[in-house]
Amino acid sequence: MEMIIAGLLDSISPASLMFLILGVSIGVLIGAIPGINGPMAIALFIPITYYMTPLTAIGFLVGLNKGAFFGGAVSAVLLRTPGTPEAAATSWDGYPLTQQGKGEKALRMALYSSVAGDFISTVVLIVIAAPLAAVALFMGPSEIFALISLALTVIAGIGTSSISRGLMAAGLGILFGLIGTEPVTALPRLTFDIYQLGSGLSLIPVAIGLLAFSEIILQLERFTGKNSGQHTAIEFSSKPEDRLLSIKEFFSNIRTLLRGSLIGIGVGAMPGLGAPVASFMSYDQAMKRSKNKQDFGKGSLEGIGASESANSSVVAASLIPLFVLGIPGNLAAAMLMGAFMIHGMQPGPLLFKENAQLMYGIYGSLVLASLFLLLVGRFGLRLFCKAVNIPAMILYPIVIFTCIMGAYLGKSSMFDVGVMLIFGFIGYFMRKFDYSYVAFLIGFILAPEWERALQQVVIISEHNTYMFFQRPVAMILMALTLFVIARTFWTSINSSRRKRMEAAAAAAGEHKAD
Amino acid sequence: MTRIKRDSIAYVLIIVFCIVMLGWGIPANTPDYPGYGAPSDLVPNVSVSVMLFMACLSLFYTAIAIYLKKHIPSAEREFPEDLKDGGGFTQVGRINLFHLGAIMLPCVLLLPAIEYLGYIPASIAFLMALQYVIGCRNWVQSIVVSLALTATLYVVMRYGFGVPVPGPQLF
Repeated sequence: MEMIIAGLLDSISPASLMFLILGVSIGVLIGAIPGINGPMAIALFIPITYYMTPLTAIGFLVGLNKGAFFGGAVSAVLLRTPGTPEAAATSWDGYPLTQQGKGEKALRMALYSSVAGDFISTVVLIVIAAPLAAVALFMGPSEIFALISLALTVIAGIGTSSISRGLMAAGLGILFGLIGTEPVTALPRLTFDIYQLGSGLSLIPVAIGLLAFSEIILQLERFTGKNSGQHTAIEFSSKPEDRLLSIKEFFSNIRTLLRGSLIGIGVGAMPGLGAPVASFMSYDQAMKRSKNKQDFGKGSLEGIGASESANSSVVAASLIPLFVLGIPGNLAAAMLMGAFMIHGMQPGPLLFKENAQLMYGIYGSLVLASLFLLLVGRFGLRLFCKAVNIPAMILYPIVIFTCIMGAYLGKSSMFDVGVMLIFGFIGYFMRKFDYSYVAFLIGFILAPEWERALQQVVIISEHNTYMFFQRPVAMILMALTLFVIARTFWTSINSSRRKRMEAAAAAAGEHKAD
Repeated sequence: MTRIKRDSIAYVLIIVFCIVMLGWGIPANTPDYPGYGAPSDLVPNVSVSVMLFMACLSLFYTAIAIYLKKHIPSAEREFPEDLKDGGGFTQVGRINLFHLGAIMLPCVLLLPAIEYLGYIPASIAFLMALQYVIGCRNWVQSIVVSLALTATLYVVMRYGFGVPVPGPQLF
């Protein structure tokens, strides 16, 4: 109990509160700018957290992520330009409302739905993470090794249409993650006599390069020479009924919000699915169950609520596998895992045992972040709307220069800036060739832990290769890993065969028509 | 070049990379086995072998499809920019090497420039060059943005975080 009180008191210290509000505000602002999303923002701001206490740093980054999720709705509603896939469903109903002059009302619905989904998800995280972590403490190195193997397999499918390319990306990420000092011999490995690699590649330049720098190169490719990046001015109606969201309007959609939140929690807690799945699933369910199906796609508040409550509830839910098992469920969680590691902590069940006060502090910050999101969103809505109009000519140089200085800031080393540029280059090609940079990054982060678990298994078992068969949970997890690989390949082959038949049928049809 | 041809070349390059790593890169750059635990080259070898297997499988699969003249779905055959639906949220597409070079070149040149000229002149020159590449032809805006950004980050790093900026120090 003392730990809980001490942790909660830490979360309301002036520094924590200040950085939490700052994180939420910057998150909403950044999320509102088309093309910049939560994980990217975390990658850009992780270097700054070097200079904060662990609680302040995690609180700041969590606030940033929560803010960015709502911020994504701003550009989706006002411009029909979802900066991230999860905001796409919001734009389907948000933008028609903007065209009717009810953009502010749509944004208020998005805000309240986001806060509701986020709050419910945070409560679920708080209630279930610690008990599940207590169970997870019984896991040994065999189970951890098997679990990471399973996670890498599941995650290989994120961000690519091909599981084989996902596995290749994860393999490359693991290879890069192993550069540095080998844990058993304490000698350099894969450093190619480059002494700066002796301590391994830092997460910060790798993440900034892959997530932010490569994304900006791609966005510039679409932007350069085409337009000025200026959007048309957005007009809001001055009528109160078009601007404000009544209590009745909000509560008439409460079932949709609850359903969306539960979908988001379920999807977020499972590694590999992510917010877009939650958002589309929730929207689909809302449309099927709605009494006003015909309004969907034409400016339905219910549609906005379904999408926003689901995608925002993914944020806290994706921390469940991270806190309980030390496995990041999505990119944002992977970046937060990196932030934990930078501050000398290994996410996983031991976190509750070794850093209980900090964990309760993080819980406090998570709840407060929901509250601050409501306040910041409510009072800064019009200001954030202006962010969508920041000229690209000014925005992109700022982001690129921040990437460079962010990479430098971690170790005050220009070598890291070079690493960031190389990974920006690699990231550009990975995106263009459909290799999952998400799988790469998660492989990179999990590789040392995966190898450590394997070394422990080998040493404890004295080279007994049947060790996994003697541990039922490990055996089940390994069997699941094989099942996931087999099933994914089977589905992929079937889907490919079906598409091929469809393509053949279409080609035959065209031939006949000619 | 079609997408399928480009992807096949990528698979071949990955196969070559994996063979080089398995044949020279990993053995020459991993410590000798100390006699306990797992060998230090085990996990690197496994990860590279997985990449090699997947690349070979993908290449084989594509070659068989072409050889048997099967209809390869347009999403796998063509670039998303050529498809009617644009391919959704995918970022797959043609490589614009000129654009990539134009963005990367100032960034790469910044590394030695910042070491020799110092943070402030190198950053201002870099930002102006970058804005020019992006398409900004308004010199006043370019200078103002460069000066403001350089100064802001200087103050934040030097006085906010107490981190020395790279290169020769001004204050």
